[in-house]
Amino acid sequence: MLYVIVGAGRVGLRTARVLRESGHDVTLIERDEGAVERARAAGFDVLDGDGALEETLESANLAEADAIGALTGDLNDNFVACMIGKQYGCRTVMRIDEDYREEIYRRYASDVDEIIYPERLGAIAAKNALLGGNIRAIADIAQHLQLVEFTITDSAPMKGYSLSELELPADTRLLAHGKSDAPLDVPDPDETLDAGDHLVVLADFDALSDVRSIVVGESGPSKALGGA
Amino acid sequence: MVTAYVMVKAHTGDADRLRGEIEGIDGVTEAHIVAGDVDLIVKVSVDTPAAVKDAAATHVQDIEGVESTQTYIAMD
Repeated sequence: MLYVIVGAGRVGLRTARVLRESGHDVTLIERDEGAVERARAAGFDVLDGDGALEETLESANLAEADAIGALTGDLNDNFVACMIGKQYGCRTVMRIDEDYREEIYRRYASDVDEIIYPERLGAIAAKNALLGGNIRAIADIAQHLQLVEFTITDSAPMKGYSLSELELPADTRLLAHGKSDAPLDVPDPDETLDAGDHLVVLADFDALSDVRSIVVGESGPSKALGGA
Repeated sequence: MVTAYVMVKAHTGDADRLRGEIEGIDGVTEAHIVAGDVDLIVKVSVDTPAAVKDAAATHVQDIEGVESTQTYIAMD
């Protein structure tokens, strides 16, 4: 898969890196000379130019690209890059700079398929680090829906039970289960929950603290789990 | 007649309501939600420069969810 990333700054370059690590081809577009050199030094194909111009995007082989990530710090440039990308049939991902704008772009920007607000993702990571322990928020799926990973502890009430015996509250689904040393997998109802196992649950915010007390048995401020 | 363009920056995602309330202000002829550094651009058409200030500075800024405005008076 070929991906075009506009902006080789802290968000764009990092994204390019993880795409490359997953075996994808990435072309970066960047107009700041210093950033171009840094990205080239890191071994990336970099086009030196303005990613909000069609001719630049054309030379990035946009027609062959699967998706374009408009990840600069400039909202106008990002939006224009997505509009052009859409014309070429690419899936488009746009970085925004303030969280209230997420709603506006979701609603009105029909050329933008996905919106990324890096600070929100950073806040989720920071929250997990602060909470520590056996619960990790993976993502906010929607305003009221969160994806959470729980780790079964020795004191967890569900420890020793099988997955089929696990009864979660309404508005929640068990999506994945993994033994402590194995990758996550589709839940097998016959598996037993041991200490160190991981469970990935999709839950409504209102149900999260119930899920938490059922699975890991801790009571705590459920607010800490709320959206980032 | 004085024509002016008012750039509106919001601090809410509720852009529909903002546009609706802005469109209801006397002198506002058009309001569009835009992509970029500002969230709405509003066209104002009134009799005097003072009325521009009244529409833009006073009425638009009074709307809940408006962060700031910047007004440009057309010279042509």
